[in-house]
Amino acid sequence: MKRGNCEGARSRAREKRPPAGRGDCTRREYTHSLAREKRRADRNPVYLILLLLFYLPVLTVLARVFFSAGFLQELAGFLQSELFWNTLSFSCRQALYSAGLSLLLALPGAYFFGRFAFPGKRFLRSAMVLPFMLPGILVVLGMVVFYGNNGALNHWLAALFPGRGWRFTGLYGFLGIILAHVFYNFTFCLRLTGEAWERINPALHEASALLGAGPFYTWRRITLPLLAPTLLYLFLLVFLYSFLSFTVVLVLGGYLYKTFEVLIYIEYSSRLRFDRAALIAFVQLILLAGFLYLQALSGRRLRREGLFAGTLPTLNIRNYPGRTILFLLYLAFVAFFFLSPLAAVVLRSFLSRGQPGGLPGLENYRLLLTDGFRFAVGRNFASVIATSTGLAVTVAFLAVFSAYYLARLRRDRPWGGGDLWLQLPLGVSFITFSSGLFMLAGKALPPVVLILWAQLFLAFPLVYSILRTARRELGEPLLEAAALLGASPSRILKTVELPLMRPALSTAAAYAAAFSLGDLAAVLMLGRGRVVTLSVAIYRLIGHYRFPQAIALGTIFILISLLLFLLMEGRARARLQDIFPRPEEAEEE
Amino acid sequence: MRENEQLLRLDIEKAYPEFQMEVALHVNRGEIFSLVGPSGCGKTTLLRLIAGLEQPDRGAIILDGREITNLPPAQRRVGLVFQDYALFPHLTVAGNIEYGLKVQRVPAPARRQRLAGLLELFGLEGLAHRQIQHLSGGEKQRVALARALAPEPLLLLLDEPFSALDYNLRQRLRQELKRLREKLGFTAIFVTHQQEEALSFGGRLGVMENGRLVQAGTAEEVYENPATPFVAGFLGEANLLPCSVEWEEGRARIRLDGNDCFELPLTEEFQPAGFPAGKYLLMLRPEDLSPDPVLAWRVTGKIETLEYLGSGYRLEVRCGAGVVRAFLAKKYRNLREGDRIFLGFDPRQVRLFPAPVQEERHT
Repeated sequence: MKRGNCEGARSRAREKRPPAGRGDCTRREYTHSLAREKRRADRNPVYLILLLLFYLPVLTVLARVFFSAGFLQELAGFLQSELFWNTLSFSCRQALYSAGLSLLLALPGAYFFGRFAFPGKRFLRSAMVLPFMLPGILVVLGMVVFYGNNGALNHWLAALFPGRGWRFTGLYGFLGIILAHVFYNFTFCLRLTGEAWERINPALHEASALLGAGPFYTWRRITLPLLAPTLLYLFLLVFLYSFLSFTVVLVLGGYLYKTFEVLIYIEYSSRLRFDRAALIAFVQLILLAGFLYLQALSGRRLRREGLFAGTLPTLNIRNYPGRTILFLLYLAFVAFFFLSPLAAVVLRSFLSRGQPGGLPGLENYRLLLTDGFRFAVGRNFASVIATSTGLAVTVAFLAVFSAYYLARLRRDRPWGGGDLWLQLPLGVSFITFSSGLFMLAGKALPPVVLILWAQLFLAFPLVYSILRTARRELGEPLLEAAALLGASPSRILKTVELPLMRPALSTAAAYAAAFSLGDLAAVLMLGRGRVVTLSVAIYRLIGHYRFPQAIALGTIFILISLLLFLLMEGRARARLQDIFPRPEEAEEE
Repeated sequence: MRENEQLLRLDIEKAYPEFQMEVALHVNRGEIFSLVGPSGCGKTTLLRLIAGLEQPDRGAIILDGREITNLPPAQRRVGLVFQDYALFPHLTVAGNIEYGLKVQRVPAPARRQRLAGLLELFGLEGLAHRQIQHLSGGEKQRVALARALAPEPLLLLLDEPFSALDYNLRQRLRQELKRLREKLGFTAIFVTHQQEEALSFGGRLGVMENGRLVQAGTAEEVYENPATPFVAGFLGEANLLPCSVEWEEGRARIRLDGNDCFELPLTEEFQPAGFPAGKYLLMLRPEDLSPDPVLAWRVTGKIETLEYLGSGYRLEVRCGAGVVRAFLAKKYRNLREGDRIFLGFDPRQVRLFPAPVQEERHT
């Protein structure tokens, strides 16, 4: 109908002003479609379906708790138990140490990244996302291969200090868990603190110096207070991540150390006590509620105070030789701490038996194709790869499609209540959600669908944040310009909007795929042993002490993560064009 | 106050990728010295060198009889008002102003007294506890000035402090700055790229080009007797007309390229020894030109453009190979584009600069 009116108006206008008429009409068409979309934003079916998908499992857990017989006695009993207090004490202690150490280690790096320009800064900054994208099980594997009892570090210590008996034996316990959490979160803290530091106008330091202040006074009175919102935000974020840690604690915690996540998993999966699992999940929700409020407050303060200045020019590190040396030492330490576990995985995958002194070759990779692998993992190698990639691609598509659809609908609105409802997954533990999902639909839906549902829940908040911000920043003038030039809404989407949004879309898709590939909890809880992904395969191989295959599979996993990282950075296409230039480009050269 | 006593003396050099900075300069106690020049000519860099935020390769900076060349910024007693103010965003107005006093460990009662005095002086009494992000541009500018003056610096450096403000506010703040200087008697270097601003302080000014101070003097001296065509063109508008000078029996004949020819009377400066026969650029200010019949020295041409400016008219007149601009009073309202016109001038207003040497073309 609209189209017909439009065509009619166009033909009427053609005689008088042919070139402008078409643009006006399509612009009107475009603004009409925009207005329609705005009206639909809050009662859109996709929005409502997502809310149902996210909230129903959580409500199921709560219903199970409240409607179970003797709920209050059960709750009181659990709160008075030694198990509760031990778990709470351990969760808080390890989360405090992890957050504190991550920030402490990140601060010197943030100083260099925030204040100086140096060659390779952009690449290093991008690479800092990589540990955050690595699957938890891969981090654990790297830790075991490098810091484990029979790891590379102990081999080096024995070779460098023979007869001293110096060994690092703390991986399976409190220290190892903190080490893994710091590994995970430190680069993330470094990047964000560095960016916050970069936003501090260098003239503030100069103004302080001109007013008579020394470097320490300036740091204490100017730099630190300006970094404080970022530091507080990150501290609370890392605390939250560590408090909710699952994979790391499951593998490295042994019998002694458990977070509430691991406790829920054990009650749910090993002891099949669903009511008890729901009760612990409920207690964890209550514990997190206050904490999440604090975190939201710090996030709000950060957003408010982050408005002062854009990124400002930095100092050239080449003019400061002393600091160059300190920076290089810092980089060497970080490389040793963070790259060594991954490098150890890759290097040992090419040594027979995965041990130092083994013969170089591809034996470990050959073992992936044997029955031994199938026996330990439960599926053959090709099936594992196919399941993992299939899930990752589907989750990436679903998350990006739905998130972008909603981001488009809400593009002219500031971040508000409607968006916050979609951020629920950040405030609910993944294990709680997965257990609720199983209670809700475990018997009705096949495991693969349940896993997709859970992983969509896991990936959606970040994907939505990325696309929501990017779409809002794109604004309307370019699209209106295209409409004025006569392009139809679908053509504008295809030729202007999507090409401009491609970097954000690929970043969001890569994150979603990385989350799916790295997920261990949902597949373990909802897969009922029948769905085996790369993470589960490595987990089972570690459980069966089949380290040669685990590190070979880990190396393949690292390669996939690297490819995702390149996709996220939007470099893959450029890099491929560098390697395989198109014929006409090659001729031009 | 010891007026006309040199407070700052400097003679420094520093190499940058874009230019070589070579500046010799003095600033008298109690004056506002305006430093003017196009963007990127090194004005801000010179301020940073004086403030100690950068170090010169050679030379010395003497402030109040003390060499400060190698002193850190904190020990120089130099205040700087940054172009973007650089106010501490996490501190209030009062927190910003008393920052320097706290650094100097001024006792709390004295600090409070000084703060109150500055708040009153700058009209910021009601804003003491306000956050910086809630201030207007003009208020921020006043806080920045108050903060820089609080520790009583010997020299105040102002780096285009009004550039982010609208025209009316700029004018008002300029008057306020002059009033404050009279009241407090501070010495300042005021950097700007706007000639009107530089001239308005009425004190001495310096013109920079490519890292060099090409001329310094009172505003009138520099405007009326520019040292180079660049200075002439930068401060105010100037017609720079290619011409040749010929001497015949001690009389100078000026021939404009492709147009008029006239004689210039000899003066103390304008003598055959100083201006040998050859190519020159003749400078005439547009406001010195007028179609007044009593003026015997003239250029003639056809009006190409005529703009009404409210206070008068702005003309562009094609005179042979060049175009001459002129500002005329309202009484010449009968002029039309295309009319032929003569523009007379007083020969004492004429300045001659050696023509730039043109590279020979090879075809």
